[in-house]
Amino acid sequence: MLAVSVEKRLPGFTLDVSWAAGDAVVVLFGPSGAGKTLTLHCLAGLARPDRGRIVVNERVLFDSAAGVDLSPQARRLGYVFQGYALFPHLSVEANVAFGVRALARAARRRRVGEVLERLGLDGLRRRYPPELSGGQQQRVALGRALAPDPEVLLLDEPLSALDAPLRRQLREELARLIREWGKTAVLVTHDLGEAFQLGDRLVVYEAGRVVHTAPKAELLSRPASETVARLVGVRNIVRGTVVKTAPDRIEIAWRGQTVEAVNSLARPYAAAPGTPVAFFVRPEHVRLVRKDRPGPDPAHRMNLLSGMVVGELHQGTSWTLLFRVDGPGEPSQGAYDLEIEVPTLVYEMLDVARDRRWAVSMHRGALQVLPTA
Amino acid sequence: MDFFPVWLSLRVASLATLVTLGLGVPFAWLLARTRFRGRELLEGLVVLPLVLPPTVLGYYLLVLIGHQGPVGRVLRAAGIELAFTWRAAVLAACVGSIALLVKTAQAGFESVDRRLEDAARTLGRSEWSIFWVVTLPLASRAILAGTVLAFCRALGDFGITLMVAGNIPGRTQTLPLAIYDRVQAFRMGEANVLAAIAVLVMLVLLVGVGRLARVRY
Repeated sequence: MLAVSVEKRLPGFTLDVSWAAGDAVVVLFGPSGAGKTLTLHCLAGLARPDRGRIVVNERVLFDSAAGVDLSPQARRLGYVFQGYALFPHLSVEANVAFGVRALARAARRRRVGEVLERLGLDGLRRRYPPELSGGQQQRVALGRALAPDPEVLLLDEPLSALDAPLRRQLREELARLIREWGKTAVLVTHDLGEAFQLGDRLVVYEAGRVVHTAPKAELLSRPASETVARLVGVRNIVRGTVVKTAPDRIEIAWRGQTVEAVNSLARPYAAAPGTPVAFFVRPEHVRLVRKDRPGPDPAHRMNLLSGMVVGELHQGTSWTLLFRVDGPGEPSQGAYDLEIEVPTLVYEMLDVARDRRWAVSMHRGALQVLPTA
Repeated sequence: MDFFPVWLSLRVASLATLVTLGLGVPFAWLLARTRFRGRELLEGLVVLPLVLPPTVLGYYLLVLIGHQGPVGRVLRAAGIELAFTWRAAVLAACVGSIALLVKTAQAGFESVDRRLEDAARTLGRSEWSIFWVVTLPLASRAILAGTVLAFCRALGDFGITLMVAGNIPGRTQTLPLAIYDRVQAFRMGEANVLAAIAVLVMLVLLVGVGRLARVRY
């Protein structure tokens, strides 16, 4: 169990965050310069917050009110630094043994041997960090941090030092290693894919603040705000005005039409008619209406809109169509209103390359209203 | 031919380098890793001997350690004669060369990635242990290079030594002073041999340290 609440002022930047998590892997996600690394430094005792309280498994590491400020040495947290920060003048074995000096000689040997073996570093004992590949360096950094058996493992952008192809592969390996060791981990990343693959809970940072904390499944389907939705890479975020809200549905005026969205039963959205509202629909949830079949039953509330494909991008197995809805005024996203994702097979079957006028439908359950925080 | 100046110079420069190392390395670490008031002034004072005329330095040193000087009087009360002895030559060599060691070592300490020290902290090592196991070994190449530079500078000092230790043959006449003396006396053969020795010793040291500096990391 981790509870972090810190405030730290730096010239031109203020970190003011508060979050708690009982999950196995917490990911601090956000753009560069949002204060994620500084939070890890505060956790590890490498930076001193101006105010706040940090508690790890009922152990108070820092409490400005009570005057508690444990040294980094006394905190017993494992830290995997960005770029790994391995000791270049020490062998792999000496790097891993660095934090277990307090153990008796025999116990130390056993522990180091065990860590090297579990991480598959046995054959590299006598090598030096500059001779290792990025992936091997990452494992040494993990081994060095894990050898003293820390309470919590902190990882700062553990994959950013690697090139893209290797990165994907090592992401899986890292996810497996973290779970195998069964440690609570706090991982910092600005890569959404990494955040989702490695984390159980996401704490979303922006400009020194936490804008959302949620289990990862909830984050994509129900972002807390438009800001969060943009940070986690949600596409097709557009703005309209409320026409009518009911406990189970919301009608929104958008581009001269009225579209209907399902209201959340858990967090019903209620706003007076005329209130500006943001909503999004995932590109794969916008469907082209086939012209060779009878249209969908209007009673199904499919939000039928007609318009034109004004641009397209080939993504390999799918096409992204930029779709402009017929209607007055400026399109919502520059030159277009919606991104639509269609599988390449469908694209070819419907001959979208030649035929640009289409009607699209969006199921009302696919329209997600975003609270304007 | 008298080789006393060679042995004296080697002894003076070695002693001076030991003293310089003992004082200079901790000082370089302080300059590289801590922030305190008057730091810039102190840094300036260390570098000053590099640019001041040796006679100016020697003059002030003499004022300090001479018979009437504050330091000189204390030392004399303790029964130690400093001015115009080989000890004064060691002092002169130290003052002339310490800046080279401090600045090189300081750059060495500054180039050690602080995250390595942070990593050592999170791994439970004390600050003292971190200095010896992480910082010092990683700065050692720079310290070694600085040591050789300082030794060579100490070996070659002329002006400061002349001012505070004099030019007493068989007592304080170091290698550079002896060369000057021989040239004045038109004993060019001896001057040639002594000058060649100076060149050889320094060249061997500089080349040797250049090779050492090229080891991995």
